[in-house]
Amino acid sequence: MNRKLYVGAVVLVLLAALGIAASLLDKKAAVEAAAVQAPRFEVDPMWPKPLPNHWILGETIGVSVDGQDHIWIIHRAGSLEANERAGAANPPNAQCCAPAPPILEFDEAGNLIGHWGGPGQGYDWPDSNHGITVDYKGNVWIGGNGRGAQPARPAAAAPASAADAQNSENVSSGTASYNDNMILKFTQNGKFLMQIGKPNHSKGSNDVENLRLPAKTFIDKQTNEVYVADGYGNHRVIVFDADTGQYKRHWGAYGHKPDDANLGPYDPNAPPAQQFRNPVHCAEISVDRFLYVCDRINDRIQVFKPDGTFIKEAFFNKATKGSGSVWDIAFSKDPQQKYIFLADGMNDRVHIIDRNSLEIVTSFGEGGRQPGEFYGVHSISIDSKGNLFTTETWRGQRVQKFVYKGMAPVTTKDQGVVWPKAAAK
Amino acid sequence: MPTQKISTLRVFGAAAIMAALLLSSPLSTFAHTIPNDVTLQAFVKPSGAHLYLLVRVPLKAMSDMEFPEREPGSLDLARVDPTLREGATRYVSDAIELYENDIRLLNPQIVDTRVALESDRSFTSYEDALAHVTGPRLPDDTSVAWDQTLLDVLFDYPIHSDKSNFAIHPQVAGLGLRVVTVLRFLPPGGAIRAFEFVDDPGLVRLDPRWYQAAARFVDMGFLHILDGTDHLLFLFCLIIPFRRFRELIPVVTSFTVAHSITLLASAYNLGPSALWFPPLIEMLIALSIVYMALENIVGGATVHRRWIIAFGFGLVHGFGFSFALRQTLQFAGTHLLTSLLSFNLGVELGQLLILALLIPVLDLLFRYVVAERMGTIILSAMVAHTAWHWMIDRWSVLRRYQFEWPALQAAPLATALRWMMLLVILAGLAWFLWGEMRHRALRGAAGKAAPSPRNV
Repeated sequence: MNRKLYVGAVVLVLLAALGIAASLLDKKAAVEAAAVQAPRFEVDPMWPKPLPNHWILGETIGVSVDGQDHIWIIHRAGSLEANERAGAANPPNAQCCAPAPPILEFDEAGNLIGHWGGPGQGYDWPDSNHGITVDYKGNVWIGGNGRGAQPARPAAAAPASAADAQNSENVSSGTASYNDNMILKFTQNGKFLMQIGKPNHSKGSNDVENLRLPAKTFIDKQTNEVYVADGYGNHRVIVFDADTGQYKRHWGAYGHKPDDANLGPYDPNAPPAQQFRNPVHCAEISVDRFLYVCDRINDRIQVFKPDGTFIKEAFFNKATKGSGSVWDIAFSKDPQQKYIFLADGMNDRVHIIDRNSLEIVTSFGEGGRQPGEFYGVHSISIDSKGNLFTTETWRGQRVQKFVYKGMAPVTTKDQGVVWPKAAAK
Repeated sequence: MPTQKISTLRVFGAAAIMAALLLSSPLSTFAHTIPNDVTLQAFVKPSGAHLYLLVRVPLKAMSDMEFPEREPGSLDLARVDPTLREGATRYVSDAIELYENDIRLLNPQIVDTRVALESDRSFTSYEDALAHVTGPRLPDDTSVAWDQTLLDVLFDYPIHSDKSNFAIHPQVAGLGLRVVTVLRFLPPGGAIRAFEFVDDPGLVRLDPRWYQAAARFVDMGFLHILDGTDHLLFLFCLIIPFRRFRELIPVVTSFTVAHSITLLASAYNLGPSALWFPPLIEMLIALSIVYMALENIVGGATVHRRWIIAFGFGLVHGFGFSFALRQTLQFAGTHLLTSLLSFNLGVELGQLLILALLIPVLDLLFRYVVAERMGTIILSAMVAHTAWHWMIDRWSVLRRYQFEWPALQAAPLATALRWMMLLVILAGLAWFLWGEMRHRALRGAAGKAAPSPRNV
């Protein structure tokens, strides 16, 4: 009996001690929760599911989530190596592989549910696909940065660095060829709807009929206007009516009239460039009607009113040379869009930025090819549940999903690979 | 035989005629394809003498409707209303059966219809959705592809009381290859009950009474144990050496108590949520079968030893049951505990049925076919072989997950301490039960050893 009492007492004392400790920790947890918070993500290594037909992706150069939370990507079959196309030869040289169609549609579970794209009648398919946007009516917009047959470059337009040469990012004025001077609009089934611009017709950054290697589009639901980040050849944002394609307005950095003067190589210690460098890589409007423009090589975001009035700018990883740090953005899904998610393809990170202060709160990702790592993270988009989707160019060549895990206290500025820790509830 | 031949000929003839008819039909019949993935959103709100059903469904899911077009592929919003109403009736109200106190509600009135863009987010709440379906229409000159739009429709069903028992049977699987229905039920009082079904879930009681929830979960528990090969093999190994009900009672009870504890803990979100946890449990379940089979082969299993092991492995199997339950707890209504206990009851009934079938079969086998010891070894070896392969397979799945210690933050530490409290309670309980069992066993042995007064 005494033994039972003794054990019972020990159990009760243990329970009381653990209970008090848990309660104290709860209070500490409440204090921690009130500290700086940021959305937390975990990579989903099982997303998407394998592609059928031995299909393989090339440089995956755009991603967009539509109103049904379907994920659309565009890639460049032309970037695949010969060995990656061996299965597509006639007769096949090997079992692997064949280029996937340029545009692929996935459902939330990562199943491939649609695919189309490529040259057709009535439109000029880009020489090098670039960027995809599914607009508020469900239509699919694409751009391109293909130069077509490349003439010899003049010395003044030579690449500024080895990285520039490798990535063909810096395009200057001169006699270089610019094939993809258009954006295209399709239905979700791939039916052609509209083309703005014609191949090889661009007359530069103040030509209002043609684009020059346009990178990405944004369609404003409120005004039914399409904003084009234009692009790899021009130094501007240009706006058209999204149904008729009629020109509305355009402007360059700080709201200036754009010009195509050669800015020379990017110098992080020099005063900020007064024009956008190539490429102007994204243009997105927030809920409070500010336009955020990615000036990729200048490592900065510039913020405008929709009429082109300059508001402010911020630099990110300003020392980044080569292909720059500001590639693409997506806004968080809270009603105020408190955060910006910035794809930084040169540093291979996604930065979580406070939209008010334009300061990096924390970052995740690491260079590499394993799940949760990046090599050339090029594009980013967000679904209605707050999950992020990224695509990678260069030899990254894939789409990844980062599952939104709610808000969490910021404990480090650089989270590294956000490997899954807990199952979704 | 001639009759069979004639009917075979008739079948072939009918098939040929059908094929000819299908091939000769105008192409427009096949103009629309069945979409892969359709999400149907719905609100059900009883209010006074009315039940409102508010539904959003993609137009492309109405595969044989011909919507008026301004130009090829572009919806003519000025002329679409009659087609929308027809589609709403054929594809929504005719397909979604609603019941009040088990009597089907018929002839709803269509209050209004709207075309919405896919990017419209008004179906996040009933109020927003209602405002949308009764609010301004898209301008007639909006240029939009018909198969990129959604039909929003509000139905009004007359009912007797908003406090009746309502049930729904959404027979909408034909809308697409995979149809997800996201349904929210808003009974009077402000509660919101959310459901998510894939394809046709059968009759769903939106606010089940306790006995209705209990019946559903007893049924699920019963079917789950019969369907779960690994649980069955574990049970099989458990009883091979003990084939008398009296001996099995403490063993099976111990297993039941243990799996009930972890099942309840898991349902109340007290279980670990790590990604590696389900594969770990699956692997441990296979291990439990291997262990039990090996113990049968080696021999020396006693009832006392076995109920303790059954308790330990029961904790593991309870988590396994909880994974199966996760998607179905939405049918519990407000009766979560009742439903969980009912699920357990169903599992017990299933186990009893298995025992009732297996024990006589094993008895007959050991009596007429093979000696008990040899039979136990052969059967257990077969089970061990199967479970060993499961274990290896599941281990290889588990190895793919990367275990990572959570960062030392206060919230997970507090959770860990609560888990330790539960462990202390369980350890104390086990210690007490073990003492009681031992005490009774000793008393029983002493009673048998002592000479009765009559013999003195």
